[in-house]
Amino acid sequence: MHIFGYRLKCLARDREMVFWTLIFPLILATMFHFAFDQLMGRQETFRPIRAAVVGSDAYRQNVAFRQALDALSGPGEGQLIELTVTDDREARRLLEEGAISGVITVDDPIGLTVSQSGIEQSILKSILDEYAHTYATITGILEEHPTDPAGLLREIGQVRTYTQQISFSSAEPNTTLNFFYALIAMTCLYGGFWGLRNTTDMQADLSPQGARRSVAPTHKFGVVLYDSAAALTINLAEVTVLLAYLMLVLRVKFGNQVWYVLLTCLAGCIAGVSFGAFIGTFARKSEGVKTAILSASSMTMSFLAGMMMVNMKDIIARKAPILSYINPAALITDAFYSLYIFEGHRRFFLNIALLLLISLAICILSFLRLRRDRYASL
Amino acid sequence: MLVRVQNLVKRYGDVLALDHFNLEVGEGEILGLLGPNGSGKTTTINCILSLLKYDKGVIEVFGKPMAPDAYESKRNIGVVMQNVAVFQELRVDENIDYFCGMYVHDAKARRRLVDEAIDSVGLGEFRKFYPKKLSGGLLRRLNIACGIAHKPKLIFLDEPTVAVDPQSRNKILEGIRELNRLGATVVYTSHYMEEVEQLCTRIVIMDKGKTLATGTKDELKAMINDGETVTVELYALQPDHVANIRQLPHVARAEYADNRLAVHFDGGQHNLLTLLDYLTSRDLSFGRVFSEQPTLNDVFLEITGRQLRD
Repeated sequence: MHIFGYRLKCLARDREMVFWTLIFPLILATMFHFAFDQLMGRQETFRPIRAAVVGSDAYRQNVAFRQALDALSGPGEGQLIELTVTDDREARRLLEEGAISGVITVDDPIGLTVSQSGIEQSILKSILDEYAHTYATITGILEEHPTDPAGLLREIGQVRTYTQQISFSSAEPNTTLNFFYALIAMTCLYGGFWGLRNTTDMQADLSPQGARRSVAPTHKFGVVLYDSAAALTINLAEVTVLLAYLMLVLRVKFGNQVWYVLLTCLAGCIAGVSFGAFIGTFARKSEGVKTAILSASSMTMSFLAGMMMVNMKDIIARKAPILSYINPAALITDAFYSLYIFEGHRRFFLNIALLLLISLAICILSFLRLRRDRYASL
Repeated sequence: MLVRVQNLVKRYGDVLALDHFNLEVGEGEILGLLGPNGSGKTTTINCILSLLKYDKGVIEVFGKPMAPDAYESKRNIGVVMQNVAVFQELRVDENIDYFCGMYVHDAKARRRLVDEAIDSVGLGEFRKFYPKKLSGGLLRRLNIACGIAHKPKLIFLDEPTVAVDPQSRNKILEGIRELNRLGATVVYTSHYMEEVEQLCTRIVIMDKGKTLATGTKDELKAMINDGETVTVELYALQPDHVANIRQLPHVARAEYADNRLAVHFDGGQHNLLTLLDYLTSRDLSFGRVFSEQPTLNDVFLEITGRQLRD
């Protein structure tokens, strides 16, 4: 407890490290929140498309088309078009001025004149195409089977769907959540900085403190264990703070399985601290270079888990699925997502098990290297 | 013997750092390991402490082979590293408590030891300070306190006074003497001969991984021909006087230049009186008089032809 307690104090008072492993993720989370709020918060409202129809004789005589246009331009919630009936010259003038999106001319076939390409123009074209198709269908059927025209018109007006949506859970899929999950994964992996610090303070050839600790009558395994426990405690506390910030302040949804979420964080922190210790033990370079290696690898893993590009997770799953199983960031993100989307826990526990297995493997490798008791030079 | 090193060989690549080095440290002594930079002093200490691999040799501490897992022996060893080995995030008292806690598990006993260590190095008013707020000298004192708080029987101090102010240096040397008085055996490495002369009961002079000479300071000085050197300020001293002075008893050589007469004696007693008697008997007026005893640097210079401090 003595070693653990002082180690905890030592790490917690390292302000620079605390900034990068706690404050920086909080800042990132806030930036994500504002960025996605801008993107997704806007409510799009549909405005009727302004169009004109040339009031020619052909238009006046085409009762069916006139009725169709009246139905689409009638005031109310279903109004699609704001229609102006005018002469050809006036209609073109309105089009040139941009007061309308298109000019309908009743001809054979029915024509549409537009001055530019856009959503409104596309909708107008779709309406006219749909009318022409339906008209041709009805006239074709009536020519061959003229017995029940009223029944035909009734049937043709009904909209049927042949698919049914079944949800895996009560949650709504939300692609922006993946960014927040990847952020938590990155914060868990930032535990690697604590792991790296531990190995530096433990080895005689890396620091004078390591030399002093090496000559003390304390078993290396004990030192490793207590130092790692302290690093894990700090990292877990930081991730918990981030989690609380996301859930309570930014209102990010994690479903209602808080204990499983915490379990994911715990497994993620163990992976992070272990990974840092692994880098610290095996990368025989200066502390600056090791820190750079750790930063680069954490960011790469987070990128591959979808933190910067939401489709990356999907790309990796299709092109290189093995990476999803060995990338700790991907395992953490997927664990969160499976908690949110799926009702069962099979996939969740698979992710947790893989995380813990990877952590165990790199811990064993690190300890085997760390227990080397003497050095060639200091 | 508390420490026995036999035939120790250590190489760093092609460089032979320790060349069949032998060392024995008796209980209760303050052994000085003196040598220039790169002579192998720190390498010797690190090999004894089982921090460094070595190519050949036997190392025993407290009569048992020394190994990284010799925890019983390690429990009675204290180390003051050449580089300051404290945690910047812990205060003075916390640093000492932390390292003492690796040796002493009883919290109550440890509290007392920590207080005694802080008092012994004179850090009482700085106990709540963080290391970055301490001067170089105070930091060195903290470094020492961390190494000796648990009152070890055997203490290794590796150049503990590097870049330290004179006040802190005196405090440190005083502290080491006190530890020795209380029963600790001390191995002290330095390239400052004045400290070693002042402090150590026995001295080993080493260079290039080998022992050059060993003994008390008087025994070492007796190894060289040079004894006392007397320098007298004199104006217009005639050559025949210089020749006469060279004939005085125990005079090894005499030189006169820049109005200074330097006379080197090779033993004998009351040499200063003999010289002054001659000068007064010849009515030769003189100014200031300096008398210097031979130093360990003279010993080193005689053996190797080089200065101790480069």
